[in-house]
Amino acid sequence: MLNTSQLFPFLISGLAFGAVYAMSGTGLLVLYRTTGVLNFAFGAIGAMGANITWHLIEKTEWCPDWLAYVACVVVSAALTLLYGVVFAPRFANRDPLGKMLGTLAFALILLGLMFNLWRSQDARGFRLPTGTRRFEIFDARVTWTQVVAVLFALLVVGGVTIFLRATKIGTAMRAIANDREISSLLGVPVRRVETAAWLGSGVLCGIVGLLLVDLFGSLDMVLMTWFVIPSLAPVLIGQMRYLWVTFFAAFVIGVVEAELNASNWGWPSQYRKTTAYVFAVGALLWFARKRTIMISGRATR
Amino acid sequence: MTTVDAHSALAGEPVSTVPSRFGRRSITQAAIAAAVFLIAMFVLPALTSTFWVKNFTSAAILSIVAGATGLLYGRVGLVSLGQIALYGVGTWVTMRLGFATDWPYPVLVLIAGVITAVIGVLLGLPALRLQGLYLALVTLMAAAAFLVILADTKFPTGGPGFKGLVVEVTNSDSMRRPDVAETDFGFYRYVLVVAVIMFGLALAHLVSKPGRAWASIRHSEAAALATGVNTTTYKLWAWGLASFMTGIAGGLLAAHVRSPSTFTFGVEQNIILMAVVVMGGVATLWGGVVAGLLVAVLPELLQKWGFSSEWSLILFGTGLFANLLITSWQLDKAGIKE
Amino acid sequence: MIEVEDLTVRFGGVTSVNQVTLTFPAGACGLIGPNGAGKTTLFNVLSGFVRPETGRVSAFGDDLLAMPDYARARWGLRRTFQTEQAIEALTVYDNVLAVYEHTTKGRAARQAAVLDAIGLVGLGDVAFARVGTLSPRQRRLVEVGRAVVGTPRVVLLDEPGAGLPEAETEHLGAVIRTIPDQVGAMVVLVEHDMSLVKACCEWTAVLDFGRLLASGPTAEVLRDPEVLKAYLGQEDLQ
Repeated sequence: MLNTSQLFPFLISGLAFGAVYAMSGTGLLVLYRTTGVLNFAFGAIGAMGANITWHLIEKTEWCPDWLAYVACVVVSAALTLLYGVVFAPRFANRDPLGKMLGTLAFALILLGLMFNLWRSQDARGFRLPTGTRRFEIFDARVTWTQVVAVLFALLVVGGVTIFLRATKIGTAMRAIANDREISSLLGVPVRRVETAAWLGSGVLCGIVGLLLVDLFGSLDMVLMTWFVIPSLAPVLIGQMRYLWVTFFAAFVIGVVEAELNASNWGWPSQYRKTTAYVFAVGALLWFARKRTIMISGRATR
Repeated sequence: MTTVDAHSALAGEPVSTVPSRFGRRSITQAAIAAAVFLIAMFVLPALTSTFWVKNFTSAAILSIVAGATGLLYGRVGLVSLGQIALYGVGTWVTMRLGFATDWPYPVLVLIAGVITAVIGVLLGLPALRLQGLYLALVTLMAAAAFLVILADTKFPTGGPGFKGLVVEVTNSDSMRRPDVAETDFGFYRYVLVVAVIMFGLALAHLVSKPGRAWASIRHSEAAALATGVNTTTYKLWAWGLASFMTGIAGGLLAAHVRSPSTFTFGVEQNIILMAVVVMGGVATLWGGVVAGLLVAVLPELLQKWGFSSEWSLILFGTGLFANLLITSWQLDKAGIKE
Repeated sequence: MIEVEDLTVRFGGVTSVNQVTLTFPAGACGLIGPNGAGKTTLFNVLSGFVRPETGRVSAFGDDLLAMPDYARARWGLRRTFQTEQAIEALTVYDNVLAVYEHTTKGRAARQAAVLDAIGLVGLGDVAFARVGTLSPRQRRLVEVGRAVVGTPRVVLLDEPGAGLPEAETEHLGAVIRTIPDQVGAMVVLVEHDMSLVKACCEWTAVLDFGRLLASGPTAEVLRDPEVLKAYLGQEDLQ
């Protein structure tokens, strides 16, 4: 039943995935609060970037590895910016669902493109330089990628927190998140701030993509594309507002999922892949307990 | 203030003659529907091969699911990104009962529909408080969880126990078809008839009291409540109807492919379904038919024309996008902010 | 009649309705006041969308606050909204029928009842047109039709005249004036258009900053210096 020798190694793995959830969650949350768009193409964009990295590493002679990794981040940022600057404004008059559907469409297009461009059946993937080196703690083998992931997540969330509080753009983002119309009336440069949010989220997208390929051990574009769905679980637990709640929830989910893998707890272990979804559904239902009725947009109950 | 002639202003004459409910528009629509049905039933099979008939059967089955999803979204205002999970439930129940009993096939499918409807209502109950993006997310998450379980449980193959799996899967462990429709052509017609019945059921709802209540709810839940509509009851009824239709479709799929694979029911299928439902249009039930054809026939057509079937993903994404752009532009013109 | 006793409604730090006690008599009554006075909030309490902090509301002797919102419509409470809520996808007939079949029992007389209501508001010749094809004035009338179909007891009209030109508000006023007699329901009308209030309502209450400022026969209330002060610079009451 409870196999303690396996708990620790899986804890490491859980923390690493939790870190990825945290970074995705941060990117999704900040973008959503600033622009009102829940970017369902987050995973697909990262996958596209990762595919380009793979292509540059495996299929070209001239490209050094480090440049290929940078390319992932650049491509991801570019694609995200493309959507954010060109397409997202067309949906400005829609509710959050409509805005999200736009990103869903983008994800489908990207997925189709990826299948067409890289249709090889063989298992593909690459390992980051941190992925090939391991060390041991308490009988558990830890790759440096896992460590980097956790550190990076801390850096990202900490950095974003400071950014939101201490910089002009960050403050502007918080203002917009609070009340877009008033902010715009007060002279906050909404478009510029939104662009910054798209850019930042795009960069995170690329970083997450790179880490995922290493942590999963292979480049599975379908898996990566729909990774955005469980990534939403910590965001929902954070009620789509609280950054640090999202951060911690991400790690909890990652660790729970991994620990269910470690020992055989019966059917929860069997269905451990539902962990994030169960958390997500729970959060949505819990926070909806007090029902509100909207009359012309203003909740009155 | 000028005086107003009270009588003329109030149109005191009673409106005594009621133009028929079923005006010219309805009759034309009924005629078109009948024509399409007859063509699909008798003309189409004669012109195509078994391969295409099977595709059209898939299209008909999926059109039921798409019609249900479109009804929920377009008529009640409930966005469900989880219909594929219910579709899988319908298939699973049909197969489990199909192996465990020798009840006639229509009974199996009906039971599958009812069980799926019950599950749909049970899931709809806690979701009543959610709407828009949050409802979409909760349905997607619930479906994703379901589908993980389905991938593990797999489809029954004639064995014992709840899961009904056998150790070695042989050719005989596949779902049976109704006696009257053993062949692919026969089953195609069978499916068409069931599809028409399902669409008829949906239509019957839409033109009567539940349909009006749904239109009221979709327009404004507050106003619906203010006019005495018990929104809880009617929303659950909508979930029940849509789940019933989806479950029936699942039952049809079981006999269509005979040995369904869990790969057919992936999370992304929910998203593709929503894309084609939107492309087909959610204002009328015909949209469901279009959606079914898009998702079942288009990829095959593309392959025939030398494109990879994944081009359909690009087309669906573009189609969804185009539809969103057009409707956004329409909202803009009307000066409406959602 | 509607008896409101010591009603207080708070939203966070804002007190929208402050210890209001008043009684709306039968017939057509007006409820006026500057923007933000609490008029729509009072309507929302009556409809059941807002729970008051304290206070009681009874209509024709029945405790209104004890009923859930959808049940109040069945009891006979109807209201229109500031943003019109007529359903564009349905015909005028279906719009009105949708209200009738959820508030009144019995199928037998429904066609007659629906057509009566449509006739009352003067939309007889577009009864089977889709509301989406109608003009804003006609849509307002559909709203009123939905509010008067069947046997309502209280009809709450929330700024039905907003944005309508003078000729059309006159027609609206004529329709509203007939409601107490023809439909047998009392009317409470929230309005900014004073000519409409003067035309329809024999009795009026004035709210300002959530408090009851004045109430009584309309002509007197509109001459009250306190009321004029509250509106100073905002309305031309001549």
